[in-house]
Amino acid sequence: MNPDTAVQVLVDADVEFVIIGGWSAIINGSRFMTDDLDICYSRKPENLRRLAQALAPYHPRLRGLPEGLPFIWDESTLRNGAVFTLVTDLGDIDLLGEVNGLGSFDEVRAGSYVTEAFGRTVRTLDLKSLIQAKRAAGRNKDLTVIPELESLLEAEEP
Amino acid sequence: MTPEELARAEERLRNPAPGSRIEAAQKFGIDLTLLIGQLRLTPAERAERMLEVCRIAESVRGAARRRRA
Repeated sequence: MNPDTAVQVLVDADVEFVIIGGWSAIINGSRFMTDDLDICYSRKPENLRRLAQALAPYHPRLRGLPEGLPFIWDESTLRNGAVFTLVTDLGDIDLLGEVNGLGSFDEVRAGSYVTEAFGRTVRTLDLKSLIQAKRAAGRNKDLTVIPELESLLEAEEP
Repeated sequence: MTPEELARAEERLRNPAPGSRIEAAQKFGIDLTLLIGQLRLTPAERAERMLEVCRIAESVRGAARRRRA
């Protein structure tokens, strides 16, 4: 798993995205581990082109797709879907065009802040938005992390 | 966080107020001392440390798989 390289590749290609999910929780102070990199990306045509080109060298394929079944990774594939759970040479990467509990990319971006991480300047969800997203996702693995995020938020409140 | 904000956050985690979300997290099983350590790190340092942990976990898993094979 190389989420650092994945983030660097995306930033260097000028892809507009926000780090969400487990790595966002970690950047905000969580101690829970994660297996994949989740990002929310802008669905503007130019951004889809950049995203497709940036990840192409790392052979993205849909996770769980039977071996041998063709999968074309390009701008057109991105245009025809919004959520992609990928396995790549850099590890598992989940791409979301919108986030449950938050909304479209613009709304996700509004609930994010800029910070340094993975050797780049990146955007990631703030604690409040992250908690909202985790609560809306509602899976056990999301709900388990909420008490920790809530206490970080309360500790940092003015 | 400024040093004052960090000191306040640490104090809240060290001595959770009754009925607070921090106290609820403690009862849920969260080790608040670990969170104090996290707050002292920059976001970049938090990501870097977790990357190291993930890589160690991955190599241990790989070694276990090879032993079973």
